[in-house]
Amino acid sequence: MLQKREKVLLLKTFQGRTLRIVREHYLRPSVPCNSPLCPQPASCHNDGKLLSSDVTHYMIPDWKVVQDYLEILEFPELKGIIFMQTACQAVQHQRGRRQYNKLRNLLKDARHDCVLFANEFQQCCYLPRERGESLEKWQSRSIYNAAVWYYHHCQDRMPIVMVTEDEEAIQQYGSETEGVFVISFKNYLDNFWPDLKAAHELCESIVQSRRERENESQESHGKEYPEHLPLEVLEAGIKSGRYIQGILNVNKHRAQIEAFVRLQGASTKDSGLVSDILIHGMKARNRSIHGDVVVVELLPKNEWKGRTTALGENDGDDKTSGESPGEPMPTGRVVGILQKNWRDYVVTFPSKEEVQSQGKNAQKILVTPWDYRIPKIRISTQQAEALQDFRVVVRIDSWESTSMYPNGHFVRVLGRIGDLEGEIATILVENSISVVPFSEAQMCEMPVNTPENPWKVSSQEEQERKDLRKTHLVFSIDPRGCEDVDDTLSVRALDNGNLELGVHIADVTHFVAPHSYIDIEARSRATTYYLADRRYDMLPSILSADVCSLLGGVDRYAVSVMWELDKTSYEIKKVWYGRTIIRSAYKLFYEAAQDLLDRNFSVVDDIPEFRDLDEKSRQTKLEELVWAIRKLTDIARHVRAKRDLCGALELEGVEVRIQLDEKKNIHDLIPKQPLEVHETVAECMILANHWVAKKIWESFPHQALLRRHPPPHQEFFSELRECAKAKGFFIDTRSNKTLADSLDNANDPNDPIVNRLLRSMATQAMSNALYFSTGSCAEEEFHHYGLALDKYTHFTSPIRRYSDVIVHRLLMAAISKDKKMEIKENLFSNKDLEELCKHINNRNRAAQHCQKQSTELFQCMYFKDKDPETEERCISDGVIYSIRTNGVLVFIPRFGIKGAAYLKNKDGLVISCGQDSHCEWKPGSLQRFQNKITSTTTGGESVTFHLFDHITVRIAVQASRCHADTIRLEIISNKPYMIPDTELFQQSSLLLKSDLVKEVTRSVEEAQLAQEVKVNVIEEDYQKYCQTKGRSLYTLLEEIRDLALLDVSNSYGI
Amino acid sequence: MAGLELLSDQGYRVDGRRARELRKIQARMGVFAQADGSAYIEQGNTKALAVVYGPHEIRGSRSRALPDRALVNCQYSSATFSTGERKRRPHGDRKSCEMGLQLRQAFEAAVLTQLHPRSQIDIYVQVLQADGGIYAACVNVATLAVLDAGIPMRDFVCASSAGFVDGTALADLSHVEEAAGGPQLALALLPASGQIALLEMDARLHGDHLEQVLEAAAQAARDVHAVLDRVVRQHVREASVLLGD
Repeated sequence: MLQKREKVLLLKTFQGRTLRIVREHYLRPSVPCNSPLCPQPASCHNDGKLLSSDVTHYMIPDWKVVQDYLEILEFPELKGIIFMQTACQAVQHQRGRRQYNKLRNLLKDARHDCVLFANEFQQCCYLPRERGESLEKWQSRSIYNAAVWYYHHCQDRMPIVMVTEDEEAIQQYGSETEGVFVISFKNYLDNFWPDLKAAHELCESIVQSRRERENESQESHGKEYPEHLPLEVLEAGIKSGRYIQGILNVNKHRAQIEAFVRLQGASTKDSGLVSDILIHGMKARNRSIHGDVVVVELLPKNEWKGRTTALGENDGDDKTSGESPGEPMPTGRVVGILQKNWRDYVVTFPSKEEVQSQGKNAQKILVTPWDYRIPKIRISTQQAEALQDFRVVVRIDSWESTSMYPNGHFVRVLGRIGDLEGEIATILVENSISVVPFSEAQMCEMPVNTPENPWKVSSQEEQERKDLRKTHLVFSIDPRGCEDVDDTLSVRALDNGNLELGVHIADVTHFVAPHSYIDIEARSRATTYYLADRRYDMLPSILSADVCSLLGGVDRYAVSVMWELDKTSYEIKKVWYGRTIIRSAYKLFYEAAQDLLDRNFSVVDDIPEFRDLDEKSRQTKLEELVWAIRKLTDIARHVRAKRDLCGALELEGVEVRIQLDEKKNIHDLIPKQPLEVHETVAECMILANHWVAKKIWESFPHQALLRRHPPPHQEFFSELRECAKAKGFFIDTRSNKTLADSLDNANDPNDPIVNRLLRSMATQAMSNALYFSTGSCAEEEFHHYGLALDKYTHFTSPIRRYSDVIVHRLLMAAISKDKKMEIKENLFSNKDLEELCKHINNRNRAAQHCQKQSTELFQCMYFKDKDPETEERCISDGVIYSIRTNGVLVFIPRFGIKGAAYLKNKDGLVISCGQDSHCEWKPGSLQRFQNKITSTTTGGESVTFHLFDHITVRIAVQASRCHADTIRLEIISNKPYMIPDTELFQQSSLLLKSDLVKEVTRSVEEAQLAQEVKVNVIEEDYQKYCQTKGRSLYTLLEEIRDLALLDVSNSYGI
Repeated sequence: MAGLELLSDQGYRVDGRRARELRKIQARMGVFAQADGSAYIEQGNTKALAVVYGPHEIRGSRSRALPDRALVNCQYSSATFSTGERKRRPHGDRKSCEMGLQLRQAFEAAVLTQLHPRSQIDIYVQVLQADGGIYAACVNVATLAVLDAGIPMRDFVCASSAGFVDGTALADLSHVEEAAGGPQLALALLPASGQIALLEMDARLHGDHLEQVLEAAAQAARDVHAVLDRVVRQHVREASVLLGD
C-alpha cells in the first residue's frame, strides 16, 4: 500500500565536502484531509480536528507567508486555514524551533480553525523536485499542486485561496485552475478581511521590520556581489575563450536592469558572437560602471534573456529598436574588471525629507548621479544639508563586494539646480570637458597683434613661402559674421589655357609648435566645443579670430593645395602642395556669393570690399570675381558628379550631409534654402581633403592620420526598410549608391517630412566616421562610405580641429621629404597616433553629446515657464516615426524635438479618441503591429496610430531634481494640429531655435537683473528697450550668430 | 536549522512511514550459481548479500571440529561504498567480528547443527549499502541463503530493529533515525515458536518502555517473516517449474 520513492539530497559534511545522500520517501494513497466535505472520511482516517464547515473558502498559505506572517495567521478571525506540510517544513528548517513550535501549537489548539495536510506523503500531491529547480520554486509548486488536489478532493465544493508572496507564482498559477485562486497576502487581507484593522497594521509593521532587517544585513555583513577573479585568471580565460572582454554599456532607460557588453578585439571572432552580450541586473553587473572594460562569462543558454522594447520611465529617442521584443540574446555576468573608467560625476544630494528616511547613519548619504547609467554613490559628508540645492561633483573611491553602492567623496560645487550656468557646467563635467581659460604661459607663446604693434609677415618667411599676394585672386565664402576663416579659394586661367584651382588653409602649425604649451592644450581639447548658447575655442582667440584667420585685405600665412585642371574636361593634371602667403581679396558670405552666381548684382552694396571703389574698377573687379565663382561652381559640379557616380550619399539634402557624422539629430537642421554655393565650397574642401589624404598616405604609409567611414551594418537598416514599406517605398540598402538613389525616390508629395525622417533614420543607421592611423588598419578599410572616396582626411579647419593640425604637420613633412630635406617636424609614431586618434574621436563624441544636451537643456528651459494647459505654443503637430509596445515616438517638426508619447499610462489606462478626435484615458488594451498600434478600450472603441501619422501633441516639461529635465509629449488628438503649412515649414527651425535660445538667455539674465537691482528704475527702462546691464543685446545676437556658425562651418565636416 | 523531527504530531516519520510500518522489503534467493546457497535483500535502502557454503569438512585446523554438531562460521563485511562517506573497512575489525559472532549466535539456535557432526557451515554476509538496520538485514538475508543451501533449520530466523521516540516505539529504524541517537533494539526471532534467538540493545531505556519496544520489534520480525516466507515459496515455485516438475 505504500509506494517507495527516493529523494536525493546533497548535504555538506563538517569537513565541507558535499555528500550525495539518497533517502527513502514513502507515499500513501490517503492522508487525513480533515475536511468535513471529505467524500470518504473513513479512508482518510479523519480522526483529529476538522475544519469548520461554515467557512466561505479554504486558505492555503505559501511557505513564505507562513514564515513571515504567522502572527497574522494566528488571528482567530482567520478561519479555514490549511497548512501544507511543505510550508511547515520550510518554517522548521529556515525559521528555527521557536516559530515552528508556535505553528505546532497553533495546529494542536482546537480553537483555531486550521489543519495540517501532509501533502508530501500523499501520492497524488507529492512532486519530486526537478533538476536545477530552486528550493523556493519547488515549495511553491508543491503547495499549489496540493491545493489543486485538495480542491478536487472536496469535489470542487469549496473554493481555495492560495496566498503567496511570490509574484511569479501569482502570474504562473493565478488562472490555471478554476476555483483555486492565487493572490498575494496583502491582496488577501484587503479582499477578504477589509475590516480586520489589527491584521492590516500588523502586516504593515512586519513588512517594515523585514525591510529594515534586510538593509541592515546588507550594511554590516553579507556580500552583495561575488568577488572579482584575479587578473591572471581573467587573462587566461580570455585567451582560452572562456571569458569575453568588452566595454560595459548601460541602458539609459533601464539602468537598474539592462546593460550590454560591446565585444572588443579578438574575442568577437573566436566566440562567434555577433550581437552584444546582455548583462541582466545589478548582481550580474558585479560593481562595474558604465564604460568599464569588463570580462564577461556567458551564462548557459536556458538563462538567456531578451531585451525589453516597451517605453521605459525615462524614455527618449533610443536606438534599441530592430530586434523583436524579448527574443533571448546572449546573456552573461561580469567576473572581473580590466580597466575602470571612473570619472568625475555630477550628483545631487537627496532633499531634506529623503535624508530623514535614510535612517540613523546620517553621515553616509546616498547621492543620485545626473547620469542615469551611474549607480547611486555613498558619500560621507557633514554638509549634506548645505549642499542640497546644488549640483555637486563627486569621485568614486572604491566599491567593496560587501557594499551595495560605491563609496565616494565630495569634490566641488558646480552651481544651483536649475540655474543655467550650473546646468551648463554639469553638462561639461559629465562629458569630461574641461575648459579653463588659457594660462599665462600658453598666452606667452602667442604672436602679438595690436594696433600699436601689428603683426607682420617676416622677411624670412617671405623667402621660404610662395607668394600668392599679387598673382592670385583669393577670396573666402563663409557664413555672415564669421570670425575664424580657415579656408579660402582661388581659381585662375594659366598661360597654357588650363585652369588652376587653389584651396588655401590657415597655417596654424606655423604658430603652434609641436609640444608647445598651446599645442598640448589644443591636443587635450581636440576640438572647439559648440554649445547652444556659447562656444569654447580650441585655440586662443588671438589665433582663431585674428592672426590665423584668413580675413579680407590682410597678409596671412597659408597652406595651399593647387591643382592644374584641363580647361574643358577639368581633368586634374598636376597638383602642388606648399606653404604660401596670401591676401584674401573678398570675404564673402554665402548669400552674397549665391547672388553673384545668379548674376543678381544688387548685393554688391553689401560687400564691403566694393564700397570704396569707383564705378569702373568696381565693374572690372566684379567681373573678375563673378567669373571665378562661376568657374568654381562649374568645377565643383563636375567633381561632385564624378563622386555621385561612385555613390556618394546625400542624406537629408545639404543640411544632413553636413551633419552626417557630426551629429545625429535632425533638429539641428538648417532648413534655409540650400544654396549651390554651399555645395561648391564644400566640394572644394572635400577635394582638398581627399588629395591631402592621398599625399600624406603615400609619404607616410604607416603613420598618416586619415578619416574613414565604415559601411553600415545591414541589419541596422531593417527599421528604415520597414518604415519605408509602410509608406509604400522601397529602400535598397545594398550599397551607398542604391541607398542614395532610393532615398531620393522615397518622396511623399503630400508630406515632405516623410523624406526627412527616412533620411534621418538612414543617418542613424550609419556608423560614425572615425580618425585612424594608417598603420593600424588594412588599406581596404580606409574607405569613406558617405563620401564614396577611397581616402579622406580632415585638412581644412585647423583652427577648430586638432586632427587638421596633425594633418598639416604631416603634409609639411611630406613636402620636405619630397625635397629630400630633413624632416623637421617630429611626427607621431603609428602607436602614438592611434592613441591620439582615439582621444580625438572620443572628444568629438563628447562635443556632440554636449551640444545635444545643451540644446535639450534650452528646449526644456523654454517650455518650463509655459503652462502646457493654456499656452498655445505648447500644442503642436507631431509625426509618429517609431512604434513601441506601449507608446510611440514622435517628431515635432516645428521645434525639432523628438520624444516619446505613451498610449498607456501608469494606471494601465489606454488612450481613446472620441468623435471630436479628442483623446481621453480609458481602460482597455493595446495591440502592436508592424506599422501601427491599436488601442482598444473596454467599451469597444478603438483608435489606430500608423507610422508617419500626424497627430496633435502637447509639450510639457517633466522636471527632475537629480537628472536633466525632459520633454514630455502627450497626445491630445489623433488628427493633425493644423494642415502642415509649407510656409511655416520652410520657415527655419533654426530661427525658432535661436529664438528659443535668445528667450531663455534673456529670461535668465532678467532674473539675475531682478535680483541685482530690484529698485533701480533706470534699469527697468533699460529692460524696456531690451538693453540688459551686463551684456548688451549685441553680444546676445553675436552668440546666436555663433550658432549659425556652428551649423554651417560644419559643412565640410564629413 | 532545527533538529529533525523523527515523529511528527500527525504520526509520520521522516520518510513518511507511520510508527509501526516497515520499509519496503525485496529479496531474491539463489543469486550465485557456484555457492551452495545465496540470497540478496533490500530493506529500504539497506542492501545485503549472503552466500552459504556447506555443510562441508572442517577447513584449516582440525582441532576446531566439534564432535557432536556442525560448526557455524559467520563472517560479516561491508563494502567501502556502503556508507555515506567512503571508508576502507579491513577484515577482522571490531565491528565485523562482533557482527559475525551475533550472526553465529542466531544461526546456531536455528540450524539443526547436530545433523552434521564434525562439519562446517560457512555464512558470508556482505553489506552493499548501509541505511539502518544492518543486523536485521544480515540475519534475514542469511536465513534466505541457508534455506537456499538446503540446510535444515528449526525455523526462519527473522530480525528487526526498533527504537523509541517521544513515548512511541518505532519499528525498522532507518539510518536517519538511528543517527539521532535514541535507544535502539535489535531482535532476532524464531517466529513460529516466538523464541528469541538474539536480543541486543546498547542504550539506556526505562524498563517500563521495554515491553512496548520489544513488542514492536517482535511484530516487525513477524511481518518480515511473512515477507520472507512469500519469497521462499515463490522461489521454490520457480525452481520446480525449471525442473520441469
